Amino acid sequence: MSRRGDERRKCAPFEDDLATVALGVATGRRREEVLEHVEHCAFCSAELAELSSVADEVLELGPEVEPPPGFELRVIQRLGSHRASHARTRRRRAGVIALAAALVVILGVGLGVLIPGRVGTGPAPSAIAHPTEASLTSHGHVVGNVVVSTGSRPWMVMTITRDTWSGTVTCEEILAGGKVETVGTFGLSAGYGTWSARLTSPAREVRGARLIAANGVVLASARLHG
Amino acid sequence: MVTSRWISRDDSASDEALLAGVAIGDERAGLLFVRRYQRRLYGLALGIVGDSGDAEDVAQEAFIRIFRHAQVFDVRRGAVSTWALTITRNLAIDAMRVRRGVPTDPSDRVFLELTSGHHQPENAAIATEAARRVRGAIMELPVEQRRAVVLAALYGRTAAEIAEVDGIALGTAKSRIRLGMAKLRQGVVTEEAR
Repeated sequence: MSRRGDERRKCAPFEDDLATVALGVATGRRREEVLEHVEHCAFCSAELAELSSVADEVLELGPEVEPPPGFELRVIQRLGSHRASHARTRRRRAGVIALAAALVVILGVGLGVLIPGRVGTGPAPSAIAHPTEASLTSHGHVVGNVVVSTGSRPWMVMTITRDTWSGTVTCEEILAGGKVETVGTFGLSAGYGTWSARLTSPAREVRGARLIAANGVVLASARLHG
Repeated sequence: MVTSRWISRDDSASDEALLAGVAIGDERAGLLFVRRYQRRLYGLALGIVGDSGDAEDVAQEAFIRIFRHAQVFDVRRGAVSTWALTITRNLAIDAMRVRRGVPTDPSDRVFLELTSGHHQPENAAIATEAARRVRGAIMELPVEQRRAVVLAALYGRTAAEIAEVDGIALGTAKSRIRLGMAKLRQGVVTEEAR
């Protein structure tokens, strides 16, 4: 038996478990034995590295699914809570916490006021206690969302995430009674865009929003407050 | 019309750049990161836990941990997406075990959604090119090997648990995982070449 053959024979008892170690489901003593062998076996070490790479790719099997409405805002709020409980004692997290506060400001009162260094000076979280969010749809398909913060001069944040529109588009708000007002005109690139604008109408008056193409065609719309 | 400001989505920024921005407290980077990953993390969590409420809890917690540990992420050890998905997967497995006992058998519905490509939930989409490759490769596996790989990789089942759930010997469960992973490795290479 050649030296190489002897080495491969030593590997045989570990062949099955290399995959379970790569997948992170090997347990206890057996896992330790496998890793101990791998440490001294170049062949199994390379094998484990490749299997681990495959295991990583399997995670890509998860489908891409739109989270429930308000998910993004709730993430931001949780990051804000994290800030409140850890800010004093964990200085190394200061950057993350500041980001959380900034994100609350971003969706709560609008992206337009975001200025580096002003983190923490924005409105209290209660200012976004009850923002309204709705899906922006086009021919029955969700293509983005709209969030309107509370108050007499609320901010509207509109996000387009799924389509192929490009160029200049106009955002309109639809008020109680059917009155339509232009909120702003924006650029859209390959179907993606996020922008904000401050409204002149109270939040309770806003019934919906829509996106208009340069030729006047309604690209998408959303209903707010029923 | 009043004030408005365009906020660039900046899809050209790499994941690593965004995470680096998160680590130093860059607000825009954080927002872009959440928007870039929320559908993938939520989708993975939903596929594993099978409940939208639980999936949201898992995905939210995943973002909290990613932001918390962004400063210690080492790009030399792997891709940001793998890191983020692994965190989500581990949290989802923990959630399943805590809330439903150990072990439970994932329903056929969820299993099919993750492996067949024919029963995905509404609004589901293939997230990445890597997802297309691995989905193509895994569909080429014999069903028993595919099931063993998915149960281990996505549901965190040990070979012993798979043996118990499927009523097979432990050695058989291990062999199915090993053979499945070996074929999957080759299959991914083949899919890459297409």
